[in-house]
Amino acid sequence: MTSRLDPVREWILARHPELDDLDSHLDLIENRLIDSLTFIEFVFLIEQHSGESIPMDTIQVDDFRTLNSIGKRYFQLTD
Amino acid sequence: MSAVDSAVTDRFIEILDRLGEKSIEDYYNPYQMFVWPDELPEDMFWMSQDLVSAHGTDLAEELGPSGMRSLSKWESINFYSLNVHGIRELLTEVISRIHMPGFEVPSDFFHHFIGEENEHMWFFAEFCRRYGKKIYQSGAPKLSRVEDTDVENFLVFARILLFEEMVDHYNLAMSEDESLHETIRQVNRIHHQDESRHIAFGRELVSLLYGTLRDRLDEARLREIEGYLKRYLVYSIQSFYNPYVYRDAGIADSLGFRGRLLADERRRPFERRAVRKPLSFLVRTGIFADDVLPTV
Ligand SMILES: [Fe+2]
Ligand SMILES: [Fe+2]
Repeated sequence: MTSRLDPVREWILARHPELDDLDSHLDLIENRLIDSLTFIEFVFLIEQHSGESIPMDTIQVDDFRTLNSIGKRYFQLTD
Repeated sequence: MSAVDSAVTDRFIEILDRLGEKSIEDYYNPYQMFVWPDELPEDMFWMSQDLVSAHGTDLAEELGPSGMRSLSKWESINFYSLNVHGIRELLTEVISRIHMPGFEVPSDFFHHFIGEENEHMWFFAEFCRRYGKKIYQSGAPKLSRVEDTDVENFLVFARILLFEEMVDHYNLAMSEDESLHETIRQVNRIHHQDESRHIAFGRELVSLLYGTLRDRLDEARLREIEGYLKRYLVYSIQSFYNPYVYRDAGIADSLGFRGRLLADERRRPFERRAVRKPLSFLVRTGIFADDVLPTV
């Protein structure tokens, strides 16, 4: 099944060749798949693919923790 | 807890003393030093042309001279904004270490450093607010801590050094660029003068701290540290491609514009120039095994 989140998933997988797949509930920050140095690029990527503008001062790190939370917050997806 | 004090050498102490004296000799009052005109001319470049992020690409042609001038204005505000945020981060780190165990020896120099950086932050913020009516926001949250204190100390001062060296590339070029307004040249010249001391200090400190890591850590961990610092360099380079800047410069698809520049191979030589000095320092000291930067 394809999802609008696929480019986001692929972006992370491309940076972590040690992973085969990415669980939608995996904590990306806790597991250091996204860190301080990649966070902004990641936000820009989500902005580009969701079409929703993400002003820096509205960013809540918790919205970016899992593919699931990103889908809910920026891609109007449900569980 | 080794930090700095247990690793100091005679050379380090000598250099610290010399740089501390230089700081006292060169001391100035920033609040009286600058000539701030009410406004800066819009028909001039605010940043050296070859420092503008679209320079050397087809997108520069598309923008044309007036588009590039407008971009140079907002990129100069971005450059000073990056300084404001970078200084806040480095001040936070240095303030949490001054007069703490392991940092007694460099603490005198830290006083100069903290004082000078506070003043730099003021004049960079002043420039942004006067001439851009804004400071661009910083988006990078602090997400993770390094568990090993020695590694954390090393990375903190290595990041400070890399940041200051990159900024200095821009400062030096703009201080010498006769096509720029005198106020712009002055801000860059004065910062460059102070930073030459900070960079000299930073190189000594980073070499010293790395020595303790090299003795203790295995090769895999050292290469991990190299990988992290290389990613930091790429992250710093990319912060000069700010979509909010492109928006202010009137560019419609700001993220698309940014993506095209980041993908454009003609940008690589200009980016390499900005990191040439710190890269060669890191290779020379053995902190980096090579000078190849990651592409993703
Ligand atoms: Fe500074
Ligand atoms: Fe500095």
